[in-house]
Amino acid sequence: MKQGFKHVAALLAASAALALAGNASAQSAGQFTAKVGVGKITPKVESGDVTAPALPGSKVAIASDTQPVLIFAYGVTDNFSTELALGLPYKHKLYGDGAIAGTGQLGTVQSLPPSLFAQYRFFSPDTMVRPFVGAGATYAYFRKETGSGQLTSILNTGGPGTSFHIKNKVAPTIQAGVAVNINPKWFVDFTVTKTYLKTDTYYSTGQTQHVVLDPVGLVLAVGYKF
Amino acid sequence: MRHTKFALALLTAAVLSACGGGSSEPGNQALKTKFTAQVAFGDSLSDVGTYQVGTVAALKGGKFNINGDNTAINPTLTGKNYTELLAAQLGLPAACAAYTGLDGSAAQGFSVPVVQHAGCYIYAQGGARVTNPVGIGNKLTGSALGALTVPVVTQVANHLSLSGGKFSGTELVIVMAGANDVFVNLSQLSTAATAAGTAAGNAAGATAFAQSLVSQLAAGATNPQTAAASIATALQTESARPGHTDASVVNAAATAAFLAGNNSAASPTVVAGYAATAQAAATAAGNAAGAKAGADYFAANAPKLVTTLAGVATELATLVKTQIVAKGANYVVINNMPDIGTTPFGRGQSADVQNLVNAMVKAFNDTLAAAVADESKIVYVDTFAASHDQATNPAPYGLTNVTTPACDLKAPTNPLASSLACNGGNLIAGDVSHYSFADEVHPTPFVQLLLARYVSKYLVQKGWL
Repeated sequence: MKQGFKHVAALLAASAALALAGNASAQSAGQFTAKVGVGKITPKVESGDVTAPALPGSKVAIASDTQPVLIFAYGVTDNFSTELALGLPYKHKLYGDGAIAGTGQLGTVQSLPPSLFAQYRFFSPDTMVRPFVGAGATYAYFRKETGSGQLTSILNTGGPGTSFHIKNKVAPTIQAGVAVNINPKWFVDFTVTKTYLKTDTYYSTGQTQHVVLDPVGLVLAVGYKF
Repeated sequence: MRHTKFALALLTAAVLSACGGGSSEPGNQALKTKFTAQVAFGDSLSDVGTYQVGTVAALKGGKFNINGDNTAINPTLTGKNYTELLAAQLGLPAACAAYTGLDGSAAQGFSVPVVQHAGCYIYAQGGARVTNPVGIGNKLTGSALGALTVPVVTQVANHLSLSGGKFSGTELVIVMAGANDVFVNLSQLSTAATAAGTAAGNAAGATAFAQSLVSQLAAGATNPQTAAASIATALQTESARPGHTDASVVNAAATAAFLAGNNSAASPTVVAGYAATAQAAATAAGNAAGAKAGADYFAANAPKLVTTLAGVATELATLVKTQIVAKGANYVVINNMPDIGTTPFGRGQSADVQNLVNAMVKAFNDTLAAAVADESKIVYVDTFAASHDQATNPAPYGLTNVTTPACDLKAPTNPLASSLACNGGNLIAGDVSHYSFADEVHPTPFVQLLLARYVSKYLVQKGWL
């Protein structure tokens, strides 16, 4: 996979170079950057109870996942920029928690959190280390929600296989990070994001569950300026 | 190709994020253990139709539940109990009664030969106790129904004799028993306490009657003190005479009073008035003494029942360990005793009886839990906790009524006055789909589903499902 990322980065760089005259030595007004890296999403779950009829306190825990990400940014001015973060779907395992803790993995879900940020970058474009902060929105898109025999056993013993659906949501996200310029074209950066995401899970049994996900994202990426 | 896939995935991600959608699937329904059978020992809570024969079957009954598929009335009214739901979850054939039959009144259609059914492993029978063969509804209790009430110890022995003296090791074995030992012991104590109360009440009543009558008659005599002695003697003499009646006793006393100078004792009206007053005194004294004697008897003997139930739990634990686990079973579920105190039956008892019931259940469960605590092949399911919580915190369970039986138990609507003859046609009015109880002690199909899910939770936690 790593080879793939490099290849894509090179392709993107090549195509962008045709369209843009690469001039500045760091992200500056009118400049595009692209970075690839790995993102880790760790939901900070505050699970509500599965609604009636349920064992009171039936909760869910969600494990973290790490996937490749691709992030584009555009310098509006030397200090203000916009950023679009995309990536492969994160695959999260869902575990029973609370009154059903210890039941192990009950399901999986894929999440896609494309995010759009407005950023402020400190210092001047040619500074080697440029911290930045940002705020924006994440569209939390859930797909391939997949149950299990264990989930069916607990929610509807002997009944048809239980499925569930997690509602997609737009959620506010803040970020802070630091970019380190290696040379005039290449940089590495590290970003921490926090998304304020509450959503609801709908089970095929008719039960629902309110979940505060509030995921923390960590991204380590290598970028190229066009 | 890899980079193409990657780029496509990114593009897909971007597109999907814009348009929404996505698929939800039940996923892989396979469980961690492939069980070959489900074997259940116990009582009515696990019984799937031992008595679904003869008149019981004709009444559209057979299980201690709301019988029959009444999902047309409401989806919760499946008629199924937890053993049936678990069998379905395990991918096994439908659960069926290992034995069917009744041993009661032939005239009422309750005498049906006992038949053993090959391939059926639900040995649990309504009314069954742990080791005592005379359970609820057994003909030896005088019941016309003639419930078989084969005790759990014999249920296990029957299975062993049918399966070569051992368990295969790949079956899920479920054990749930003990509640009928509570009911029978309680009933016996109640009967004995009532008898003690009646005897004491009668004695006290007779004494009070004599004292009242004598003092009233003596008051009008020439010398009340000596008259009282002579009247009392006359009364006692007549009372001791074979063939005496209440009237003859009063007459003898009145005659003695007249002889002692109480002229008004010659008036039947006056004497009748005295007798009525004496009777009122007798009733009051008798009731008070009877109640006290009954309560005293109850208080003196109640602790023995708590000890008895602890002993029953020890018997059950020993049975499970020596006749089930030691005979090759690897997957054993023991459901402890549900909360009887919060059943409609329990709620209808006096505070003293409720306290005793709670103590009996606790003694049973505590003893059972301790006895199987270190057994890796046994999962101890705390159904008491769930049933108690359901009764006291019904909303999260989706329960709308935890005190009223869903079945109309009055004759002739329900000739057995039990959920055994309850079906979609003899429910009480209104929506009973989320009621806790079918009758005084047995749960509805909805609570049976809650029980199935609760047992499943333990099995998933154990890593068996």
